[in-house]
Amino acid sequence: MTNNNIDKNEKNKNKKNAKVGEKFSPTLLHFIRRKWFDIWRGNPPGPVLLLFGLFVALIMSIPIIYVVWRSMFAGVDRWMRLLDERIPQLLWNTFSLTAAVTVCAVIIGVSLAWLVVRTDVPGRKLWQWLLALPLVIPPYVGAVTYIIIFGPSGWARDFWRDTPWLVNVFGDYPINIYTFWGVFFVLTMFTYPYVFLIASASLRKMNRNYEEVARSQGMTTLQVFWKVNLPFLRPAIGAGAILISLYVLSDFGAIAMLRYVTFTAAIYFQRAGFDTASATVLSLVLILLTVVILWIEARTRKKNKYYQTTNTYKKPDILPLGKWKPLILFYVIIVFFLSVVLPILVLVYWSIIGIGMGALDERFFGFAWNSLKVSGFAALLCMILAMPIIYLKSRYPSIISSAIDRLSYAGYALPGVIVALGFVFIFNNHIPMLYNTFYMVALAFVVRFLPQAMQAGEASLSLVSPRIDEAARSLGYPPWKVMIKVIIPSILPGVLAGGALVFVSSIKELPATLMLRPPGFDTLAVRIYFEASEAFYHLAAPPALLIILVSCIPLRYLLKKY
Amino acid sequence: MKKVLKLFVFMMVAFGLLIAAGCGDNSSADESNPNNNETGNNNSENNDAEVELGGELIVYSSRNENFVEPLLQKFEDETGIEVRALHGADPLQLEEEAGNVQADIFISNDLGALGYLHNQGLVEGSNPEGIESIPAEFRADDNAYFAISARSRGFIYNKDMITEEEMPKSIEDLFDPKWAEVENGYAITRGGNGGMLGNVSALRYEWGDERTAEWVEAIRENAAGIFQGHGDIRRAVGAGEHTFGLVNNYYFHQQLLDEDNNVGFIYLDQEEDQMGVIANAAGVGLVTGAPNEANALAFLEWVLKPENQVVFVGESLELLINSEYGAEYPPEVEPYIVDFHDLKVQDMPIKELGNYFEGTKELIENSGLDLELR
Repeated sequence: MTNNNIDKNEKNKNKKNAKVGEKFSPTLLHFIRRKWFDIWRGNPPGPVLLLFGLFVALIMSIPIIYVVWRSMFAGVDRWMRLLDERIPQLLWNTFSLTAAVTVCAVIIGVSLAWLVVRTDVPGRKLWQWLLALPLVIPPYVGAVTYIIIFGPSGWARDFWRDTPWLVNVFGDYPINIYTFWGVFFVLTMFTYPYVFLIASASLRKMNRNYEEVARSQGMTTLQVFWKVNLPFLRPAIGAGAILISLYVLSDFGAIAMLRYVTFTAAIYFQRAGFDTASATVLSLVLILLTVVILWIEARTRKKNKYYQTTNTYKKPDILPLGKWKPLILFYVIIVFFLSVVLPILVLVYWSIIGIGMGALDERFFGFAWNSLKVSGFAALLCMILAMPIIYLKSRYPSIISSAIDRLSYAGYALPGVIVALGFVFIFNNHIPMLYNTFYMVALAFVVRFLPQAMQAGEASLSLVSPRIDEAARSLGYPPWKVMIKVIIPSILPGVLAGGALVFVSSIKELPATLMLRPPGFDTLAVRIYFEASEAFYHLAAPPALLIILVSCIPLRYLLKKY
Repeated sequence: MKKVLKLFVFMMVAFGLLIAAGCGDNSSADESNPNNNETGNNNSENNDAEVELGGELIVYSSRNENFVEPLLQKFEDETGIEVRALHGADPLQLEEEAGNVQADIFISNDLGALGYLHNQGLVEGSNPEGIESIPAEFRADDNAYFAISARSRGFIYNKDMITEEEMPKSIEDLFDPKWAEVENGYAITRGGNGGMLGNVSALRYEWGDERTAEWVEAIRENAAGIFQGHGDIRRAVGAGEHTFGLVNNYYFHQQLLDEDNNVGFIYLDQEEDQMGVIANAAGVGLVTGAPNEANALAFLEWVLKPENQVVFVGESLELLINSEYGAEYPPEVEPYIVDFHDLKVQDMPIKELGNYFEGTKELIENSGLDLELR
């Protein structure tokens, strides 16, 4: 209906133009219009919706463009010096850590997923979600707990020192957590759930027929795993590995606390010393690294296509472990203990001490309120901004809408330090009104986490038939009104889940908050970082526990998503 | 799931309302600010000091938060001016914000940083009441910044691991790689640390750039631990994680209050022919174009009062430049206090530090010590 109206208007215009003979010839106009319709496959969105989408995409990508742009003006000298001395070392640090953590997390994640989905490990249903729990513990909190336990003045050291035979046999306390291996261990323990969740989902969907064929050819269980299961898991492993390597590239908190220096940490320290030009140069290298990883992922995904036929689907059978059962159970328990039980115990212990010493004072609630305020605002904004983008993408597929979609992922894939760096430039120089306000922090969260809200919304929107939109359109609503009146009410649960995800990610976020927080506006995450670096564990533990509790809110959704 | 969602919706709605209310507050505060400034300016014109102060004061501080917070709290309690502090600020942030000034007061634990800001015109002179109490060598000629507490560099060492006789006694000793061999080695801070910057500036004054660069290279090579801050070092040395560490003397005082308090301190280069101990000071500067200038001036006069100079030292256990005001130290620390005037101090005027600030940053950056952590 509206389309028809537009058509008529256009036709009228054309007639007029033809009569008056203005600068634009009717043929040219016609050509542009034809092209425009071609791009949208004959179904262009209304201008309101389109402009809104473009506006969001612009906000999302500006910080990164700005950083890249600024790095071009860092000067040849600085570039040469950094390329010469700093970048090789940083590349090695970053690359070795990313590779090691990714490989190990994939091994742990896939093995655990296979064990709890496909074998008769005792309590397998329970383990399926218990083993995903490390997701709620931010790695920097995990790092603090491991420093408390295994640090040079930690509990393990005290125990070692007070146990004569250990000292006699092995000499002095041997563990140094402030090394590559410390960082590696902590990051692995708190990132493997990404692979675990994705791999368990694929394993559950796997069809038994293929395995039966393999078995009928005389393959053993191990051979079946390598030749049948593993190839089927490759997309899942790839997706999980990408998530983990992007995480390692972007992590600041755990890495800085364990005194390791990767690109992200180097950018932060350069910026903290206000050598902004060098920070932008390092950022550019890190952006390239991220792009390379994404490119590798896109390539492998294209090459390997696996199809599961659904019509003859049979539920996979569960393998008996037999004599291996105790050993396997021990493995599952030890991973769970190291990644969930131990950190939580440490935090509870110090929280009790802290609360006894009055850690839950006015200041604490002030910080909690700040966290709530900025994260809640970011979640609200994300829910509002995600809507037009996902609506455009699903109902008006075209180059333009997928470009908008891609741009929205820019801040998500990149580390928070880079987004923050861009924000400082832009706000300080061009939007001084908002500079040093909490809106700036909230906007940075939006740029970082909007895709989480988009993914959640998309999942719901794919369940709503386009027929419903068409019905609404035929009754005379423009596209944006259809979205508000018809679509939003029906996808609200998905949107709210997306908001919850953004809320939790924002409350955990550390580097951008550190770099952008206005004076007198510390959040819980910032406090954990400062108190822990001053070794005031009794003050660091209560906010850490609070963050973990809040993170449990969207856990059910997360588990269902995979 | 539905219930959770409903709860969440409710929370979000409640929250949206709160935010709206919060925003309202903010904007009204913003609106009232210019008024404050105007009245503030009028006040200073009329020389009327006895006017009710209000509004807020933005403080950027590069000093340890735990030392500054009680001071700011006391100011807030006594004047009713709301203090918003950014701890861990870098002096260069003021430079970046020169076109969009945010801060009113800059508190620094490195007089070099304040001197640098002064050279750049980012702190401005004033004439607060009580400024005469600060000796001329500890304040800028136009009083744009002044120091309140002083510290000197030296080695904190663990008495279980090394004796005073065995310890190095000069900053030059660190050229010698043999100190890497002591049990668990020694510790220094990252090059970006204010104390380290001052230290390197002083060495450049004394030795010139080339030898200083060698020294930085030597400690970077030989140090077993490179930490973010001095607090980490004192704790590490106290716990025996390193034999000794290069810190400011007040970190030694702090460690005496800790559980692992079997530590000693070496004031460096005290012999006749040596350079003397490297000193630095912590102080306050008035930011040029401060948005809440009246409050900033009130803060300067307030902090110059003898009792508040004592509070400025506070938990840091530094030495008060005006030691006669009687900074109080806990009984565990009292016997170890060495009055600043009793030390042989390097002859570089502390105010000179500001002229070395930029070059020192560059030298440290070239050495790579600014990013190193271990």
